[in-house]
Amino acid sequence: MNGWNLAAAVLLGAGGTAALWGVTTGPPARRVIAQNMTTSAVCPALLLLSQGYGRPAYVDLALLLALLGPVGTLVFARLLSGDLSDGRPGAWGLTWTAAGAGTVVVTALCVAVGPGRALVKLLVTGALLIGGNVIASRALAGGFRGVRGG
Amino acid sequence: MLIVVALLLVAASATAAVAQRDPARQALVLSFMGVLLAALFTVLQAPDVGLSQLAVGSALTPLLIMLSVRKVRRRGRAKKETE
Repeated sequence: MNGWNLAAAVLLGAGGTAALWGVTTGPPARRVIAQNMTTSAVCPALLLLSQGYGRPAYVDLALLLALLGPVGTLVFARLLSGDLSDGRPGAWGLTWTAAGAGTVVVTALCVAVGPGRALVKLLVTGALLIGGNVIASRALAGGFRGVRGG
Repeated sequence: MLIVVALLLVAASATAAVAQRDPARQALVLSFMGVLLAALFTVLQAPDVGLSQLAVGSALTPLLIMLSVRKVRRRGRAKKETE
């Protein structure tokens, strides 16, 4: 096992356990936040795995997750809006922590990969991950009229 | 070790999904499990299966469940009003 795989295991274990705890306990608002956090924990882990196994094709998985994870969260934000309206979940500390972790992972991988097409793919994945995370958090916090109208 | 971590998390989240009572909360845990299952498939060197699991598990299944939950709730509310 090399360092990349070890980092992926730590990220998957810590992020997965925290998200599992959050998604199974507490009020609905907390559960949706934890569900949103899953994407930002697993997506960098998948990126690290692709580097650890030495297979650039595995980046596709992280790309798809970065694209679809926020979509899933938006589904919950839209359809659970009745349950969420009494206590608007705002977890900006967690959001920016997750975004920072994603940035660190993507930067480390960019340094390891070097310039080329793979670098562009990594940067696109990172931008999608962080952008999607911020958009989903904003929707959960009631930042969008369409979502709030429910 | 990676396989053990992913397997344990999938098993724990699947148990938690069964243990929840409310369908909406079950859908939340289920979407979490779908993402983790995709990670498990990747760890087991089957990224193609993981790709389809990711597409179905992270967005599609929760959407279907939540739509049906909403429809059932609305129907129940309408029936209560007419009675």
